[in-house]
Formats: sequence, C-alpha cells, structure tokens
Amino acid sequence: MAERSGPGTAQDLDRVLADLRALSGDIESCAVLSGDRDLISSSHEPGVERERVGAMLAALVYLSERVARESGKGYISQLRIDAGGGQLLLVWLDGGGVLAATTGPEARVGLVLYDMRNARSEVEKALAEGSDQ
Amino acid sequence: MKKLLRRLFLLGAIAGAVYAARGYLQGRSPGQVTVQIVFDDGSVRSLASNTTEGREFTDIARKLVETGL
Repeated sequence: MAERSGPGTAQDLDRVLADLRALSGDIESCAVLSGDRDLISSSHEPGVERERVGAMLAALVYLSERVARESGKGYISQLRIDAGGGQLLLVWLDGGGVLAATTGPEARVGLVLYDMRNARSEVEKALAEGSDQ
Repeated sequence: MKKLLRRLFLLGAIAGAVYAARGYLQGRSPGQVTVQIVFDDGSVRSLASNTTEGREFTDIARKLVETGL
C-alpha cells in the first residue's frame, strides 16, 4: 500500500505494483524506496513493521553503494541476494530510489528481474508525478 | 629454463594445497556466492556468504524475505 501526499500518485504506484505482481507470479511482495530513503509503497500498513522494512531496505542500499564506491564504480543497476528461503531483488530507479521485490526459493529470478526492469519506467513516472504535486 | 618452470609450478601446487588444507582444517568451505551487485556499466561484483560483507547483506535480506516488503 502506497503512502504519499498526492492521492493520484499513491493510486498510480499501487496500480503499477499490482500490475507487476500480476505479471510476475514469482513475486511474493514488493516495495518502493524513494531517493530520500522513505518507504513510499509497501504491503505493510503504516506502523512499526513498515518502518523496520524501510530501515532495512535503506541499510541495503547504503551497503550496496559502499561496495560500489570501494570497487570504484559509479551507479548500481540491480542487486540480487539469495537469502536461502527466497531471493531479495532490488532495481535502482532514477533519482536513487529502488524498486524491491521478494520471491520464493524456486523463482525464475531472471524473469522477475526482467519484469522489474520493465516496470521501472512506470514507477519512475508515478514518482515524478508525485513530486510535481 | 624448463627446470625452473617445473619447480615454480610445483611450488604453486604445494602453496595451493597448503591453503586448501588450512581452510579445511579451520572448517571453512569455499563460500557460496549469495550476493550479486550489477553496475550500470554491466560489470558484476559477487560476494560470498562466508565473508563479513556478504553476511551483512544476507542477514538483512533473510529478515525481509521472512516478513515480506
């Protein structure tokens, strides 16, 4: 569920993420973290759990960017973590935000990442409209 | 020259065997790759689960996979 000041944008983002989940059946949950490290869309209701998810995603983004700096690289395109019981996938958006998704252990990760990359422009569009409002 | 190369090869093999034996005796496995970071230039950085850096990622990811996003 998206949490954003503009109601149109929240609905747009929810629709984009719902479309992504419908398209890619392997996705169990997904979220969007803004460039300011705010969790603007999540399956969790506002509260402690949602804040925890936002903080953990922000920590992963920070760790990834640290690895990029240490490797002498500029920007990250995507991150894939095999967590044993499933996969955590992050696709970077314009402006430093990320589109994140979790899958089960038997998911077709390449296909999920492909769908996430395709959904990226729609997510960026919804975020840009939100910042305009 | 041939003799020197043979000795160097042998020395390398012995060093490799010692390193592998040391890892085995300390209970370490080669370490499965669990984290893959893809950069915008297409290059990939992989982190193994038996490194501190890799564990930082997997510990957080495990919690997120359990609770959902």
